[in-house]
Amino acid sequence: MTRTVLVVDDSPSVRRMISMTLKGAGYSVVEAEDGQMALERASSARPDAVITDQNMPRLDGLGFVRAFRARPEGRGVPVVFLSTETDAAKKDQARAAGAIGWMVKPFDQAKLLDVMRRVLG
Amino acid sequence: MTQEGINDQAPATRNVVTFDLCGEVLAVPASQLREVLEPVRVTRVPGAPPFVAELVNVRGAVVPLADLRVPLKMPPGADGPEARILVLEIPLDGQEMVVGIRADTVHEVTRIGPADLEEIPTVGSRWPPRFVAAIGRWRGHFVTLPDLAAIFADFLAGPPGRAPSAGSSGLAPEPETT
Amino acid sequence: MMDEETLTLFRAEAGALVESLETSLLALKDRPNDRELIDSAFRDLHTLKGTGAMFGRADVASFLHDFETAFDRVRDGSMAVTPELVALSLSARDHVADLLRAGEPVAQDPAGQEILARLAALTDGAVPAPSAGPGPEPQGAWQVSFTLPPDTLALGGRPELVLEELRRIGARRIRARVAGIPPLEEIDPENLYLSWVAEIDASVTEDEIRGAFLFHEDGLDLRIEPPAPPSDGETSAAGPPEPKPALAPQRGTSLMRVPAERLDEMMDRVGELVIAEARLADLAARSRDPALMSVAEDIQRLATGMRDNTMSIRMTPIGAITPRFRRLVHDVSADLGKPLTLDLRGEETELDKTVIDRLTDPLMHLIRNAADHGLENTETRRALGKPETGRITLSAGYSGAEVLVTLSDDGGGIDRSRVRARAIERGLIPESVPENDEGLLKLIFEPGFSTAETVTKLSGRGVGMDVVRRSIEELRGTIDVASEAGRGTTITLRLPLTLAIIDGLLIEIGSERFVVPLAAVDEIVELPERHRDGESGNAFLDIRTSLVPFLRLRSLLRATGDPDPHQKVVIVTSGDDRIGLVVDRIVGNHQTVIKQLSPLHSGLKSFSGATLLGDGAVALILDVPNLVARGRGLAEETVEAA
Repeated sequence: MTRTVLVVDDSPSVRRMISMTLKGAGYSVVEAEDGQMALERASSARPDAVITDQNMPRLDGLGFVRAFRARPEGRGVPVVFLSTETDAAKKDQARAAGAIGWMVKPFDQAKLLDVMRRVLG
Repeated sequence: MTQEGINDQAPATRNVVTFDLCGEVLAVPASQLREVLEPVRVTRVPGAPPFVAELVNVRGAVVPLADLRVPLKMPPGADGPEARILVLEIPLDGQEMVVGIRADTVHEVTRIGPADLEEIPTVGSRWPPRFVAAIGRWRGHFVTLPDLAAIFADFLAGPPGRAPSAGSSGLAPEPETT
Repeated sequence: MMDEETLTLFRAEAGALVESLETSLLALKDRPNDRELIDSAFRDLHTLKGTGAMFGRADVASFLHDFETAFDRVRDGSMAVTPELVALSLSARDHVADLLRAGEPVAQDPAGQEILARLAALTDGAVPAPSAGPGPEPQGAWQVSFTLPPDTLALGGRPELVLEELRRIGARRIRARVAGIPPLEEIDPENLYLSWVAEIDASVTEDEIRGAFLFHEDGLDLRIEPPAPPSDGETSAAGPPEPKPALAPQRGTSLMRVPAERLDEMMDRVGELVIAEARLADLAARSRDPALMSVAEDIQRLATGMRDNTMSIRMTPIGAITPRFRRLVHDVSADLGKPLTLDLRGEETELDKTVIDRLTDPLMHLIRNAADHGLENTETRRALGKPETGRITLSAGYSGAEVLVTLSDDGGGIDRSRVRARAIERGLIPESVPENDEGLLKLIFEPGFSTAETVTKLSGRGVGMDVVRRSIEELRGTIDVASEAGRGTTITLRLPLTLAIIDGLLIEIGSERFVVPLAAVDEIVELPERHRDGESGNAFLDIRTSLVPFLRLRSLLRATGDPDPHQKVVIVTSGDDRIGLVVDRIVGNHQTVIKQLSPLHSGLKSFSGATLLGDGAVALILDVPNLVARGRGLAEETVEAA
């Protein structure tokens, strides 16, 4: 069965780059441009994994992960954070909010696919 | 090169499409035929020689329209009610060139076998012998297979305006007015 | 696992790295101490080696290893950039390009071995770090035991994927330990109670083992015991694993690599769209249905936008091909023993991708020619008091809807008397043509002018200047030459910005329609009363104090019928010249999808192509530079007569 990944980022080019890579590897992709939209998309799309940016309008990454984890569709779904920061405190915050992993931008396609393989198989 | 028509080959049965031009029956290999068009709007090319004086739109491609009456020394004539355009693919310099040729009527695709072929007369023919690939019989008529590759190659070889051979073939483009 | 698309990506990326490496190396020749260039060359070598290894090209990786080491030494200052190192690195770069072109890993690589031997000799006999295994390899296995963080399941983590990853890197045996599982009634289904023990092959590094626990590091309980040393003196054949290489970093996440054919297809589609749109507009105008006309207008706006977007995507800076010219000049300089420099100006000037692609060979030929025939040898230059280093300048820039590319050298110029003698000998001109004839130099572009007489290794090969001219004309461009004895030669190419679609002005003469490229149109004026009756006579128009010669297209194109009582004059420009074209009517703007004329008509100089109109008819596109040149001839005749 095709796995669905929800990609949340306010940059269209980042979204596109990620979704091209994932689609190329056989995943199906749902895109959202901020946390609020991601919550809406998640309830209909039921993603198997989520990749999210932190800084976004309306609802940021941390806020989105907290809200997502509280919902039934958010249980047991791995969430990977995407950030330009490598700050350990931020990582801890993300983990506490419910993210399983942290990926530093910029990253290449191989790295992204490696991460997806690790969280989705 | 240009004579790689029937002359060099062992005679074999071939499929040809027969058509009328100026009261004569002509035929071209069916393998070169792409389609037959009803008369469409043609565009005159100012300065182009009478042999290829027009362009026509064939399914979005701009295709030159040639008039075989010029190299075969037939008198010019107007389109009749059954006039058609044969769209052909002709080998030229190792590439396929798409051209249209005018016909007064298109008959049919038929087979011409070795038995139907006649010797090409070396004298007395109205047509320049190098432009004739073969002469055969079809329904009691003589049918001429023009060597299209030779005709077009001859046309292209004539440097515009000053080739010594230009006058004899009547094919060379006339010099543009300046 | 390695699909065709990924491999294509690898090849494209490796190709770009090879080119970038070449650019850095060539620049290093002039600036051997430039830190950035050294770093860039090192990075390219490193990334090439890394991606090569990752994509199964161990041959590329192992070949590049010593070069990477050498440049690492350059980086830390223990080695200097010498012309020998640059030359050798360039041949290494070529060798890698060859290896990559082979598509498959090459098992035997004598050419590569030879280059490496020369590199070893160059690096002062200092034996570079061996690329093979550094000695006995420990046997046995890592003993790894671990407990994943308790919140693993809640966060969507999947322990089985960690186990899979361990197996992938080389775990031989994995056992679960169930000791931590509480009684059933105490079990929280989202908590993880299991822990595992794994035996992992000794060839795996500790970092790789730790890497398998990506995203599970926080709260992970991991114990790693190194493998026992080998029990006897047996050594392992396997070298240490290459450090896991990263793919070349993207130059910014917003960039995307697209195969060139897709752009070509896209342009074809846009061409078809524009033609279909013209048909729709034609039908809508006939129907007089306001709703349909409004939709047709929307479609037209969208098609125009689409066309502009597509064309802008296809625009490529001329700098994309200049590295090859630098390389050529470097090689030619070495071959001929002439010191040469290539000056590049206006590399940012953009042209349609197809034009750029098809411009490369002619320019290579012209540069080779300039280096070989244009520039004198060192002794001659010294004797003439010229700088010893010959200079070739390639510059590009915009000029209206055209791009001007000029190639000049500071050599001896073209010998007019030799051109004249050769042309007479070849029967290209009669003996009566004087040596100062203006058209004389252009004869070098005539077929049959170049002969085998002066074949040299570089410029021979049977390609003459006539082929260059034909290539440029196929691009709807023009070529011109100017030369000054003792000072050098300049070849000027005028090229259209694009080959595919242009904005055109549709005009009518009698019942026939033609397209004038809009970019060449300056203005449109009414033909003054006093010129109306001139049947074929040409004359001048007085336009804001300047006299502009005009051509009556009606007579030039031998149109039939009576002229319109209100004929218009379309004023067009090419280069520095202006000319008026007298037409019957202006029909309007037309998005013109350019169709090449067949070889049967390519000899006609008045037209640069044809296009399809909304009603399906074919219309010819007027070649403005050619018409302007005729107008200029007209002006000169008039001046001479006066």
